[in-house]
This record gives sequence, structure tokens and C-alpha cells, in this order.
Amino acid sequence: MSRYNKILAISFVLLIILSVISLSLGVKSLTLETVFNTVINGGDEDFIINQYRLPRIIISILVGIGLAVSGVLTQGIIRNPLASPDLMGISGGAGLFACSSLLIWPEVHSALLPLIAILGGFSAAFLIWLLNHFNHPSPARLALVGIAVSAFLTSCINFILVLHPVEMNSAMIWLTGSLWGRNWDYIWPLLPWLIILVPFSFYLAWSLDLSALGEETATSLGVNTECLQVLALSSAVALASVSVAVCGTIGFVGLLAPHLARLLVGPRHKLILPIAALTGALLVLSADTLSRNLAPPLEMPAGVLTAVLGAPYFIFLLYRYKGW
Amino acid sequence: MGCFKAIDRSQLVVLAKTKKTNEIKNGNGYHYRLLFYEVIMIQRSTLLLSILFIASFGVCSAQIQAIELEHDKGTLVIKKTPSRIVVLAFSFADALAIADVSPVGIADDGDINKLIPSVRSRIGTWQSVGSRYQPSLEAISSLKPDLIIADSGRHQSIYNDLMAIAPTLMFKSQGVTYRENLQITQKIAKAVNKVDLVNSRLEEHFQLMGRLKAKFKSNDTFQFAVISDKGMWAHSPDSYAGSVIAELGLNSPIDSKNKNAYISTGFEQFIKLNPDWLFVGKYTNRTVLDKWKESPLWKLLKINKSKQLISVPINEWSLASGVLSAEKIALEIESQIQP
Repeated sequence: MSRYNKILAISFVLLIILSVISLSLGVKSLTLETVFNTVINGGDEDFIINQYRLPRIIISILVGIGLAVSGVLTQGIIRNPLASPDLMGISGGAGLFACSSLLIWPEVHSALLPLIAILGGFSAAFLIWLLNHFNHPSPARLALVGIAVSAFLTSCINFILVLHPVEMNSAMIWLTGSLWGRNWDYIWPLLPWLIILVPFSFYLAWSLDLSALGEETATSLGVNTECLQVLALSSAVALASVSVAVCGTIGFVGLLAPHLARLLVGPRHKLILPIAALTGALLVLSADTLSRNLAPPLEMPAGVLTAVLGAPYFIFLLYRYKGW
Repeated sequence: MGCFKAIDRSQLVVLAKTKKTNEIKNGNGYHYRLLFYEVIMIQRSTLLLSILFIASFGVCSAQIQAIELEHDKGTLVIKKTPSRIVVLAFSFADALAIADVSPVGIADDGDINKLIPSVRSRIGTWQSVGSRYQPSLEAISSLKPDLIIADSGRHQSIYNDLMAIAPTLMFKSQGVTYRENLQITQKIAKAVNKVDLVNSRLEEHFQLMGRLKAKFKSNDTFQFAVISDKGMWAHSPDSYAGSVIAELGLNSPIDSKNKNAYISTGFEQFIKLNPDWLFVGKYTNRTVLDKWKESPLWKLLKINKSKQLISVPINEWSLASGVLSAEKIALEIESQIQP
């Protein structure tokens, strides 16, 4: 077994183990035997296991995959280690649209929310594109533009929250990123997007490797770079937006997961993508499991926990790449 | 035969209550209360009989009659008087407390002191089911409740999950006004089959409120606000404490065109409000008031001259929003106006 396959297998096994642990731990901790029986036969704990913990675990995994793949695509195209959907303002745009629609139109159907969020994500991306259109900035400046847009969108969200103070606390929790109250109903709006976009990003992996050699070299090797940029960034925006629509802006997963994957398996996208997806799933799932189990029955927003890991790493990156 | 009479009587009360609800919708609180007293009088004249009926047939009628209750998500049919109730907001705990029913679980933010002492002393021990913002569904489910009462604002997104655990009533709690909450309190009384007990307790409550209203004859303006180190939020007559103040016949400094329950108030806006009385509930020890007091403009305020700035418990004035907390608010105002 090659080293790569070993890493892949280990992360996969870790994910399964963590899922089982997450299924058995909670306000009411259950034995593994009860967990397996309930998953297969239902019974007394049917609600806790099958209607509550299981859908949350599956959503954590899906959201983690979505955010991580989105991060790989963004970093691959922008060729900037600081680039990620949340730092670039994509999550902010999706969050702004989803949050305003929730406050203005609380009855909104959960299947519509991803579409609204995607609209918000693309609006933010368009804004960044517009700002970069006139002067082609260096990667470091591009990251700064993204951070500025992100800050602007956050201020818009705050403004809307001030206008609707009664709902503020719930909206705040949602914005920090939380899987509270997420059940099977939220999986169906999320799943089709992932089923289409994750394999599609694998299809783009080879071109992404070439574009890492520089735009001119990639073009001479037969990559339509402009087309690749549009396709990859659109997929990244859509993936990040649907994730945000389902569980708010869980930060830093899109930044951390690709970096960890690159550290483990090197720079080739075909190799990075599966590992990053698994790492992202592991990150969100462990954040959610911790958020339920740190001080039960109180819950902590999972986004707080990913930020505890992610923020120091971001500072480390800024420090390490200070040369440019 | 006894059974028949018991049902007759309860139908009378239901009839009177429908009339009463209409009165409330007309916004005529005075008539509403008169009618309420009439019902109580009828009930009193048959008090002995009722006690007899309730004692002998109460249980049987509770099982026979399925109760239909209108709530914010439609109509819920309660077939059997619930005994394991979980509430996800403090105002519902207040309503259960006056019905002498102890909830098995409360979303109390993990801190029993958030419930006001007058509610806590009337209910037995309960288990926390997490925060009011994000109550833990597995904690609720593991209590095996037979009725859940949730906030139709905050918990809208988990209504289906709650229904999967147990029959769920959704009422307004956050941002509820005094009168809205009275109706909700009576619906909850009906749900737990304690209409008579709650009505007699409410009669006491109205007497207290009526006595204080007659006593307070003031042209001063009264304002309640919550404050922290982040700012001040004035509670308008559309909030709970604000509507209790209005119910007592006291004036508000806030423009009646304002329809927001909670108004974020800066120092300049506060100078414009310039109330004669300011009651504050503090979220933090140091607040913006400490900063405002250093300003020369502070000396212009009426509360500075009259020293009518009073610190009050925030859980009684802002978090609880129930009948018992309304009494606490009213009594606190009484003790301040006439020491």
C-alpha cells in the first residue's frame, strides 16, 4: 500500500470512528450496542439517534467536504495560501443574503435558502472581480481586497441585525456557524449540489495542477485558463454558499483543510482533493461533537470551535508568508 | 348525572371566555375585566357544588374531554391532561407556576437563578434543557415529555423536531405584551386542565393591578431600560415591562408612534426621552450609564435632579414576562413612588 493510500485509509477510518463516537455521546450517552441496535431497528432512542444525531453528523460531513473542496479550488486558482471562501468574503455574501431573507421572510422554505445563499456568494464574488478588474493586483493584495469585502459584508449583516433586535440572538448564533436544529430536511437541499460539484472539481484537478505552473505555461500546455478560472471559482462559490446556507458561516475550514492536505500529500490536486475533503469533514464533525458535549445541555456554536483552531493558524500563515 | 353537570359548567366558562377574547380583540380592557369578574361571581355562587363535582368527577372529565387549543401553529388537540411538560421560555414557566404545575424541563440557560424566585418557589425541581436560544433536542427528548411549550419566534425552525418528540404548543414569549401574555396564560391553564385555579389566581392578580392603578395618580413619565457596557435598550409600551407600566396607568416618554418593543438608545436619544423615572436592569456591572454620568449634559436630566434612577432585577423586569413578574414590577414601582 502506497503512503498516499495509507493516509487516505487512515483519515477514512478516523471519520467513521468519530461518527460512531459522536452518535453515542451527548446529553444522554449511549452504549455502542444501543447505538447499533437503534440505527438498525429504531426503538426507544429512535429520536435521539436517528432523528437528531445521525442527520447532524451527516450534515457536518457534507458541509466539511463542501467547505474544504471550495477552499482547494479557491487556493488553486488564486494561488495564494491565504485565499479561502470565508476570508475572501464569499461566505460573508452568502451569509448576508441568507440572513436577511431569514429576518425579512422567516417562513422561507429550506430548499430555497441554498439558492438565495448562492446568489449572495456570487454577488460577493462579482464585487471582488469588479474591484480586481481594473488593476490586476498581486496575490497578497488580492487577499486584502477579499478581506476588505468580507469586512464590508459583515458590517451590512450587523446593520440588518441592529434593525431587527428581537431576532438578533438567533441570527448571531447562526452567523457564528452552528448545526443546532438541523435535521434530515436540510440534507436534501445540500446533497445534489455536492453530488454534482465535488466530482466536477476532480475533473478540474489536472488543469489546476497545470495552472500552478503559471498562466502562460498552462495555456501553452492546452489549458483554457480563463474558462478554468470561471468554472473553478463558480464551483467554489456555489459549494461554500450551500454550506453557509445550511449551517451558517463556520469559519476557517476552507482555509485549514487544504493546507493540512497539502502538508500530508504534496501539491497535486488529484491527491489533495480527497484528503482535504476528509479533513474538512473531520474538522466540522469534531467541532460539532465538541459543541454538543463540552457543557451539555448547553450548546456552543461549532463555528467558535473551528475559529479557535483556525485563527492562530491564519496568524501563523501571515507571519510565514510575510515576504510578499 | 354529576358528569353532565360538570361539563355544563365548563361549557359556561368556555362560553364566557370566547366572549372575553372578543372583548380583548376590541381593545376594551375594562369591559373585559368586568366580564371576568362576572364569570368569577357565577363560579363563586356554585363554589361548593363545583368543589364536589371536581373532586368526584374531575379525573373522569379530564379523560373524556379532548381539549382543542389554538396556538401560533394551528390547533393542537390534547387528549389527556399532560403531566410531563417541558417549557422553552420563562413566561411559560410563570404560567405553569400559577397553575401549580411543575415542568419537568426548562430551557434556563443552565442557570436556575434566571427564573425569578416567585416562580421558582412554586414549582418543583426541573432539569435544564439548555439555552433558550438553542435548547438541546436530545435533552428534551430524554425527559420523555407529553407536552412542550415553545416560543413561536425563537423555536420556529425546530417546530417539526419538537412535534416529533411530543405535542407542542407554540406561543409568543420574546417581545410579548402584558395582555397577549394573559391570553396565553389562560390557554396554558386550559392545556393543563387548571382553568379554575388559574382564573381564581388571575382574579387576585387583577385586584392587585386594579388597586395599584387606582393608587398611582402621576403625570410623571416612567421608563424601563436594560443596560450593559455595550449600550442601552429602552423598553417601549410594546414590550412586556413597558406594557405593564402602561397597564398601571403610568405614562411613557416614548412617542406612541414607535412600534418597536426594544429601542437601542444612545445618550442623545436618552436626553430627548428625559423620563422622570428610570428603572434599569443591568446585564454587566459597568455600564454606559457610568460614562454618561461624567458628561455635563447628565446634570440637565430630570432623573439627576430627582434621583429617580432605580436599579431593578433584570430577570423580573425583562426575562420573565409572566403574570407573577408583572406583580413584582408593579410592587417595585409602588415601593419606589411611595416609600
